This record gives sequence, C-alpha cells and structure tokens, in this order.
Amino acid sequence: MNTTNHALVVRDLKKKYPKVEALKGVDLTLPQGEIWGLLGPNGSGKSTLLKCIIGLVNPDGGEIEILGSAPSRQTKAQIAFVPEVENLYRWMTIRQAIDFTATFYDDWDEARVPGLLQFMGLDATKKVSSLSKGMRARLKLILALARKAPLILLDEPFSGIDPASRDRIVEGIVRQFKSEEQTMVISTHAVGDTEQLFDAVVFLDEGTINLQGNAEDLRRQYGKSINDLFKEVFA
Amino acid sequence: MKRFLRLLRKDLQASLLPMGFLSGITIILMFLIRFKISTGSWPVEASLAAVAIPLVFLPLWLLWQSFQTLRSEWREDTVYTLLVLPVPGWKVMLAKLSAIWVEYTGLLAVTVIGTLLFFAPLVQEAMQVVPSVAWLVRNGLLLYLVSLATLASVVIFVQLAFIVGKMVGRLQGLVAIWTLILSGWLVDKLGVLLEPLFRWLPTLPVHRLFRLEELRQGIVVEWNLAPEIGTWLGILAMLVLTSYLFEHYVEVNG
Repeated sequence: MNTTNHALVVRDLKKKYPKVEALKGVDLTLPQGEIWGLLGPNGSGKSTLLKCIIGLVNPDGGEIEILGSAPSRQTKAQIAFVPEVENLYRWMTIRQAIDFTATFYDDWDEARVPGLLQFMGLDATKKVSSLSKGMRARLKLILALARKAPLILLDEPFSGIDPASRDRIVEGIVRQFKSEEQTMVISTHAVGDTEQLFDAVVFLDEGTINLQGNAEDLRRQYGKSINDLFKEVFA
Repeated sequence: MKRFLRLLRKDLQASLLPMGFLSGITIILMFLIRFKISTGSWPVEASLAAVAIPLVFLPLWLLWQSFQTLRSEWREDTVYTLLVLPVPGWKVMLAKLSAIWVEYTGLLAVTVIGTLLFFAPLVQEAMQVVPSVAWLVRNGLLLYLVSLATLASVVIFVQLAFIVGKMVGRLQGLVAIWTLILSGWLVDKLGVLLEPLFRWLPTLPVHRLFRLEELRQGIVVEWNLAPEIGTWLGILAMLVLTSYLFEHYVEVNG
C-alpha cells in the first residue's frame, strides 16, 4: 500500500501498561489536509495512541508511519504536539517559552506569534506560573500553531477549561489551520460544540476503534450529530 | 550548537534558585566564622575547618542536583516537552552535565572569593608555605580540571541510573540504585580488562605537571594511565548508552 499521501498510518498498534491494556491492535489511516477528532471516554486509549505517535511511549507491537516514514527524530520535527498535562516550564515567561520552542523547530513562523498572542489574549511578559489553566492551554496552543508543522496532535485541548478559553481555542484552530499543508488530530472526551471542527472522527473505546469515518457521512448515515452519536456509543 | 546552548540555558535558569540559596548559605557561614574569629570565640584552627564545611557538602549536593535535574522533568511533566524535541539525546544529557559543571564552578568561585575576602590575613599566612601565587593558581586550575572530570563521571552514572529506573514500571528506585552499583563495577572491570591494550602509554609525571619540585626537592609522583583509559572509555560508553536510552526507550509516566 502506498502511504505517502497519508499524514498518518497506524497498523495493529498495541500498548500494555502494568495494569491495563491501553491499545489492543489499532488500525488507522489519516489522509492529509483534514482535522480528525479522536473521540472516546477517559481511559479509552486516546492519549496513549497520540503518545505512541510522537514517541513519548513505546508501543509493544504494530507499526506507525508518519508522512511516509517510521517514527524518528526527523518525524518529531514534523509534528506539533500539545499534551494534556502541563508541560511548560513554570519559571519561564511566555516570551521565554516561545523562544525556547522556536529554537528547536525549523518550521517555526515567528511572524505568526504577535497575532496569536493578541488573539489568545496573552501578555508575553507574564510568567507561566502566574497564568490560569485556560491561559496555559492557550499558550500551549500558540506553541503548536506558530509552527508550520505538517501534523498537529492536540491531546484533550479543551479539558478542564472555561468556556471562554475553549471558544478562543476552537476559533484559533479554525483560523490557523492550513488544510492544504496540514493535518490535525484532536483527542477529546467531550465533543459538545467542538464537533464543527472535525472533518472526520474516530471513536476509540478500551483500546479498540469501534467507529470511524467522515463526519458528514456519519451524520447522514445515523441521522444524528457526532455529539449524539458519541453519547449513544459510549452510553 | 544553538539548540545545545538553549538547553544549557534552560537547565542553568532552572537551578538559579538552589544555586543562590547555597551561595548565600556559604557566604553567611563564612561571615559567621569571621565574626567568631575576630571576637576570639572560636580558635582559628576550628574556624578554618568550619570554612571547609561547604566544600565537604559540595559533592553530595552536586550528586543530588544531577539526580534532581532529571527527576524534576518527570515530576513537573516538562519531560513531555523534552522528549518530543527533535534533538539527539546526548545534547539533553550533555546540557544537564554542563549545567552541573557551571554550578560547581560558581559555588567554587563563591567559596574562593569568600575565603579571600573574609580570611585575607590567614590566606596571606598560608601563602608563605607555597612557592608562588603563579604556582598556586596553576595547580589550582589543574586540580579544578581533574575535579571536573571526576564530577562528570559521577553525573553520568547518576543519569544512567535514573534513566534505567524510569524504564521499568515498578521498583524504579531499587533498579536505579542497582544500575548505579553495577555500572560502576562494570566500568571498573573494563579499566582492568583494557589495561594491557594501553600499556604502551607512558606514565604521567604528576610531579612535573604540578611542579612539585618547587615545593620540595626529590618528590616523584607518577600516574599509570593504562587502566584509566579503559575506565574513561567505559564512562563515555555509559554517556552514549544513557543518551540512546533517553532518546529511544524512556517513557513518560503512564
């Protein structure tokens, strides 16, 4: 199979933690230029799948292909990853966090930064430790969206965030996403009003995919919104 | 180089607080001892021994710091940032080692400057024993370089132990301690094993390097380098192994 036109190909991916089997043979093919929703309840394996792709955990079996290549230092440079956890150095200022990230990525677009900061309502002189959770989530998104990365992975970007921050993040994604050159995967356990973002969705449950496809096709096929479908599948 | 320097800067900035704290403690201790000497409360000999206290704790603190600099990345989840960076593992590890070197140098400088400031008369008295200021500076620098190399070996072992500990799901502390012991033993054995390969190397005339004849005639100290080379090759291999494990095998907390 020629997979060079795909942003991401995952074959029979398995990952077992000491107490739980997080991924039980996941197969997934993501074409370039779309925003995919990786949907599932807590503990369904969404984060583990993203961590396997970026190299934060090592799969026990299966294959991953990122833009036609096996995971490596080179593919890390092609992925912008926003983890669910607070991964920012808290003693840094926003400016320092931006400069730190910019140093490591050749696709960093400094021209985007002032606009993103303004749009997200952040003051670059503020310390990360002084920011609210919502503001830190917005900063993490800036660090991903200021890059021209071909693949963007956002792990639970709306988790525990106030509605105002969530709306701003959604709008930020819509404004910055370049479908002709980027692919985005957003994992979430709360679809809600973010379903408008997704071109396609994957439903992940207990480490296996139980539904996937184009969002519009699924709406038509089942006669309901992705949010309602999500509630039905994971009821 | 730019990326390595950025990592180094990050590690140095992260250690500013403990560095400032330790430097402050050292200065306060020296000031206190100086005060006690001037009031005649403490005998000079005991006071001089007390000045050395920070230097005695320095290796222990650096050992802790080399462990702590990695532990904090996992504890504060910043390892999520570090592990996704498209940089080779050795740059991350070497940046942390270099930061420890800078911290050590800084604390050493604080101790030396503090000694010169607070104990000038005693230093002048001690200077009469050494041949010259140039001799003291030269040997001080040589000893400093030797201590940097020794420090590097300790940091490399600690880094390896920590990373191996992080690769197992359970009993991470125990695995780390055993890795520390076993890697030390292995490197020591490697030195012995490889020693015949390097017998052709001449012995290092330490007395000439340190100009000990200026201190006392007839002193001869020589250092057999053959077993050391094997040991240092082993330590270098440990650094390469740690960097490889960090880049390819270590995971974030599940």
